[in-house]
Amino acid sequence: MRKGLRWKVLLVLIVVGLSLFITLKKKINYGLDLKGGIHLVLQVMTDDAINIETDQEITRLQEQLKKKNIEFKTITKGKIGEFSIEEINPDQEGKLKEVLDEYFREWNYTIIGRRANLSLRTNVAQYLKDQSVRQALETIRNRVDELGLTEPTIQRQGLGGERIIVELPGVENPERVKNIIKTTALLEWKLVKAGPAPDRETLLKDYGGEVPPDMEILRGDPKRTEGAYYLVERVAVVTGKDLRNARRSVDEWNNPAVAFSLNPDGARRFYKITSENIGKPLSVVLDGKIQVVATIQDRISDSGIIHGRYTEEEAEDIALVLRAGALPASIKYLEERTIGPSLGADSIRKGLSAGIIGLILVMGFMLFYYKLSGINAIIALILNIVILFGTLAYFRATLTLPGIAGIILTIGMAVDANVLIFERIREELSGGKSIMSSIASGFSRAFRTILDANLTTVIAAVFLFQFGTGPIKGFAVTLIIGITASMFTAVFVSRLIFDLTLKRRKKREKLSI
Amino acid sequence: MKYKYLAFSLSGILIIAGILNITLRKGLKYGIDFAGGTLIRVMFKDSIPIEEVRKSLGNIGLGRSIIQQIGEKNTEYMIRTVQVLPDMKEKEELEAHEVIANKVIEALRSKLNTKGESEALHLGKKDLNNIYKDELAMMLEGPFAEKAREIAEKIIALRTREGMIRDYSKLKEEEIPKEAILFLKEKTYLGSLIVLSRETVGPQVGHDLRQKATQATIWALIGMLIYIALRFKLAFGVSAVLTLFHDVLVTLGIFSFTNREINLPVIAAILAIVGYSLNDTIVIFDRVRDNLKIMRRQELEKILDSSINQTLSRTILTSGTTLLTVIVLFIFGGEVINDFAFTIMIGIIVGTYSSIYQSCPILYFWNKIFKPKKGLRK
Repeated sequence: MRKGLRWKVLLVLIVVGLSLFITLKKKINYGLDLKGGIHLVLQVMTDDAINIETDQEITRLQEQLKKKNIEFKTITKGKIGEFSIEEINPDQEGKLKEVLDEYFREWNYTIIGRRANLSLRTNVAQYLKDQSVRQALETIRNRVDELGLTEPTIQRQGLGGERIIVELPGVENPERVKNIIKTTALLEWKLVKAGPAPDRETLLKDYGGEVPPDMEILRGDPKRTEGAYYLVERVAVVTGKDLRNARRSVDEWNNPAVAFSLNPDGARRFYKITSENIGKPLSVVLDGKIQVVATIQDRISDSGIIHGRYTEEEAEDIALVLRAGALPASIKYLEERTIGPSLGADSIRKGLSAGIIGLILVMGFMLFYYKLSGINAIIALILNIVILFGTLAYFRATLTLPGIAGIILTIGMAVDANVLIFERIREELSGGKSIMSSIASGFSRAFRTILDANLTTVIAAVFLFQFGTGPIKGFAVTLIIGITASMFTAVFVSRLIFDLTLKRRKKREKLSI
Repeated sequence: MKYKYLAFSLSGILIIAGILNITLRKGLKYGIDFAGGTLIRVMFKDSIPIEEVRKSLGNIGLGRSIIQQIGEKNTEYMIRTVQVLPDMKEKEELEAHEVIANKVIEALRSKLNTKGESEALHLGKKDLNNIYKDELAMMLEGPFAEKAREIAEKIIALRTREGMIRDYSKLKEEEIPKEAILFLKEKTYLGSLIVLSRETVGPQVGHDLRQKATQATIWALIGMLIYIALRFKLAFGVSAVLTLFHDVLVTLGIFSFTNREINLPVIAAILAIVGYSLNDTIVIFDRVRDNLKIMRRQELEKILDSSINQTLSRTILTSGTTLLTVIVLFIFGGEVINDFAFTIMIGIIVGTYSSIYQSCPILYFWNKIFKPKKGLRK
């Protein structure tokens, strides 16, 4: 065998061998639509973080202004991150500026007439927004970790990075997992001032029908209690943030319950409040709904039990989300998809059979139309597919249903290159050239066309990759890899096969093509 | 080339028909990816006629949902809700759709709950078709100890393969011990409904996606224009892009006459066609470029004609092989990928037709109208 050929054969064998090896060793990663699982897209309402900050700052400002005896009529809120101090005394403008410069550096301000307009600095606002998304991300990661799921995908997305995509393949119990991920899990202990009452009027009887400013009305969670109304203090004694740990346990009647322990700071506050309020009712509030109201029997410091008609599973799940932390209050869910495993398995089956049928038909056609040269194309095609799978496995690319479609499409497109070359060869042969030179010019002249043609499909696929979501990305990836591999096999490998098989019979009169 | 006027008018008719259908008759339907909503696929144990399904949905005010049968036997259905229940607040958006999805499943279940099933539920029996692996294993642990996990896995595998267990005798074929089957017969019942998939999409996503899709398509077309203009000449580039544009419009037009909905995979198919349809066009243009050098003194129209004829076999063969695989995908690929396969199928046919009958006529007219300085020679 000529020297040049030997290298080429070696190269092909290495590439193919490697592909086979990698495919067998690293299993192909199945996407959600083939394996089944959950896909969630949620958006963190970052404006709420800004609002909370604004409210806190306004309170702080009011205290400061009072301390320094600076007069003003009222504070009004404007757009997000903006508020104004109305009717200030012009003589006190200097003093006001001092306070703002000293204690409120995160705010830009302008004073026009008797009004001071404040707006949160852009970089501070940006930081707060980013912070709330990162907190949500962290909480979700914690919850997913606690669930012990394999290969989860949790990613930030979107223009401002405000969206989070959660993909959990192979989840067996999607309803439960979805609930765990979605629940806000804001836990608060609040002192009860009045209740239980069947409606708001009865509740507010002793308060003149109005809710006092430092209190709020909450209802019992219909799943746990009778749904009665309670009047509770607005500010919580301790919250979920003060928890050190939470786990499923049992109460004194052996019913499932959630045992918790507080960190030192929380324990201190809890101790103080409970010792000051022995005999009074204390409510446990989860996500704004009262879970249970119990009378404070004794001082509680750092640990306790939350009990309230929980099943074992519920207690387990609540403990889990308490451990993982609460989600920022406002999350909007944009997309939820749950694919069952049987649908995924069905898709794989159908995709596979379509692929095999397509492969056989194409191979049959090539054999029929190009006779023995068709075998050349068939070998190139098979190698193409092997290399395709190898590359997919190597990059741990995810195979999706559109991805399988992409592979099938590649089978059809891969032979295009061969067709172009063979047609060119036929042309050259009919033009009277010898076999070897027909083949040579066939390959070289077709190459440019093949390159141009395939390149445009690849460009389109790149656009698809950029703009598409999971399954579509899978399609773009298989298309790009498949076409690139097909160029290699059609041009390099086909040529090689011709060279190898035709060298023997030097005086060939006819080429079977 | 002699058919150029014919071809133009045919395409013109198709495009106008498509546009009219879309605007006047609301032909182009958006799937949930673009319009939001819920999409549920269910499988029933026994065959249920579609009217029954619609009736049970009608009972909860969702009778106008789009219900489609999947597969041949009347056991698999795809339900797409289009209405919003009257007591849902606008604000709740996705949650509203989730609630609707739950109600649909609930309605279908209660419709099917035969006396036998309600009794079974009453007795505390578990639904073998919907129970989770862990719970099943726990249930089996009592009487079967270490083998419990293995048995549970076999049952789940059977369920995954077949969708649902239609008869306890199927368990025998899986080599599950007789005692286990008896145990299960006593403690479980075979539920008549499983949910194959459920997808809910809020309206915000749909809006963003529509934008992204249009942008991606336009940028892709521009990208193609630049590429062709660089490799050939501007005239070729413009002709190629107009041909592609025509392909997209005609494909969408034909699509609008079917009952199919546009979802993300359909847009992906269109982009793929944009890339692929160019292949044939390039093959022809390549030949035109060669012939311009060779057949210097001939008329443009003759050159174009010869180019087309010379490459005809090539064009049809390459598109043919790809079309072959796509048709296989369309017939055998299953329901989920069917819209995608359909779009590509139409796209390839239209694309090939346009490459042969449109791209050169456009070149011809460009040359006539604009009379570029050096002609079309590079």
